[in-house]
Amino acid sequence: MRRLHVYVLLVAAVAALVYARGLNSYWLHVAIIAMFYAILTASWSLLAGYTGLFSLGHMAFASIGGYASALLVLGTGIPIPLGMAAGVALCFAVGGVIGWVCLRMSGPYLAIFTLAFSEIVRITFSTEDQVTAGMAGLHTTPLFESVSRLPYFYTAFGLLAASLAVLGIMVHSRWGLFFRAIREDEQAAAACGVRVAHFRILAFAVASGFAGLAGGFYAHYIGVLTPSLGSLDLMAIVVVMTVIGGMEALPTAVGGALAVEALLEYLRFTQWRWVLFGLLLLVTMRFARNGLLTPVWQQFIRLGDMRPTPPAPRGVEREGSRV
Amino acid sequence: MSPEGMIVHGETLQKRFGGITAVDAVDFSVAEGDLIGLIGPNGSGKTTLINLLTGHLLPDTGEIFLRGRRVNGLAAHGFAALGVARTFQLSQLFGRMTVLENMLVPGLTRPRSTRTGVARRARTYLEFLNLAHLQDLSARSLSGGQQKLLELGRALMLEPAILFLDEPFAGIHPHLRDDLIQRIQDLHRSGRTFVVVDHDMESILKIARRLVVLARGQKIADGLPAAVRSDQTVLAAYSGL
Repeated sequence: MRRLHVYVLLVAAVAALVYARGLNSYWLHVAIIAMFYAILTASWSLLAGYTGLFSLGHMAFASIGGYASALLVLGTGIPIPLGMAAGVALCFAVGGVIGWVCLRMSGPYLAIFTLAFSEIVRITFSTEDQVTAGMAGLHTTPLFESVSRLPYFYTAFGLLAASLAVLGIMVHSRWGLFFRAIREDEQAAAACGVRVAHFRILAFAVASGFAGLAGGFYAHYIGVLTPSLGSLDLMAIVVVMTVIGGMEALPTAVGGALAVEALLEYLRFTQWRWVLFGLLLLVTMRFARNGLLTPVWQQFIRLGDMRPTPPAPRGVEREGSRV
Repeated sequence: MSPEGMIVHGETLQKRFGGITAVDAVDFSVAEGDLIGLIGPNGSGKTTLINLLTGHLLPDTGEIFLRGRRVNGLAAHGFAALGVARTFQLSQLFGRMTVLENMLVPGLTRPRSTRTGVARRARTYLEFLNLAHLQDLSARSLSGGQQKLLELGRALMLEPAILFLDEPFAGIHPHLRDDLIQRIQDLHRSGRTFVVVDHDMESILKIARRLVVLARGQKIADGLPAAVRSDQTVLAAYSGL
């Protein structure tokens, strides 16, 4: 039963799908938005957590994916899934180009570069209002004709599951090891034969593609798309969710998105909620840099593993399993 | 010396940083099965020379050949793919990855490698380096000496034609230093080729079959250890004259 945690997750997923039928429209909306964020945090975790590339341009790619899909569907009448796929492809390509331009950058330099890119994208969408309708908002084609949010819930669930499957396969493969090696030490990774430039560009392209997927779904769900999708406020929320959950593993990054979105809604009655989240972030950075959910996840994946954990020698840190 | 028959051959290599010439018209060749000690006072250009010969720096002038093939401009991962492995002056491990994962990274960069096969080979090397019991610990939690051993193991995972070890004995416990010397000698006997850079003359003299001495970026001596030790130019360089 060493994979007991996998079965528990599958049962929880089925339970969530069944339970969703009983949720009212408001909480369905909250769950859909939480899953939208979860795709963004998981893909940002690939970039920042696994590869060590602290990009602040992730929401710009969500915005590009959203506008690309919405405008293509409105302008050419192609089916929405095709429009979303085109948005993903565009984000993958632009992400690859940005990754190539940023090859020599890391840390604050990369953050500032991607921040500037993000603002350029947002301001372009704002000012080109003849195409994008600017801040008035672009009325997008809805994904479903139904007034119920349930089909959107299932779609978001499916997209999240598919994203996690693809990202999970990547980070469990040799690519995942190479991403982490690059995060730890680029020079040593190159000395080990890792094609550092290739994998940095790949991480940027893949993460941007998934951000585009989230943006495309959001555009056809929310109905009115504004340039604020690519704002720094939303980027900050994605960063906070990922950091609070734990940025070095996909499940904790996703858990961070779901938990923070749920808490934000529960705390809606108080105007202090953002202050509380600020404090939570401070506590996380001070006492749990790997995220508040990382120890919980590490305990969880040991479910059913009956082998005793050998004690670590004094002063020696045992590396937790990663997913 | 011609590049033919040499694993690595550097010809009139020069590298400048601003107004300082770190490596100045140096010729450097390594033949199959060599165990070369590369020595010199601080700032003599030893690490810069290694960086040039492993693709981590581009020479301003000069040529680099690997088994007779000109490789100027090749990236560091390309050198690794052609069988050039190295360690660093200050250990550069993947700190938050486990000891075993550190070993897997170079192994999995090889074409047609499988995870099972690479893991089996990694465990064999970890046994050889007496690190097998630490395979699930994070690399940063190892002692300085163990980190040096792990770096050697990681380099071996490339199944390299040549290993450049940059100050492998610096700052490690004498017991582990002897262990490391023993491992290098064992590997050399099994046919590996080494270039070892260090300040620890006693350790270098124990293992080197040939000594190359750099001073102020220039090669001032190249020959058998006994001859180099008594060379007046070398003595003068070490005494700062």
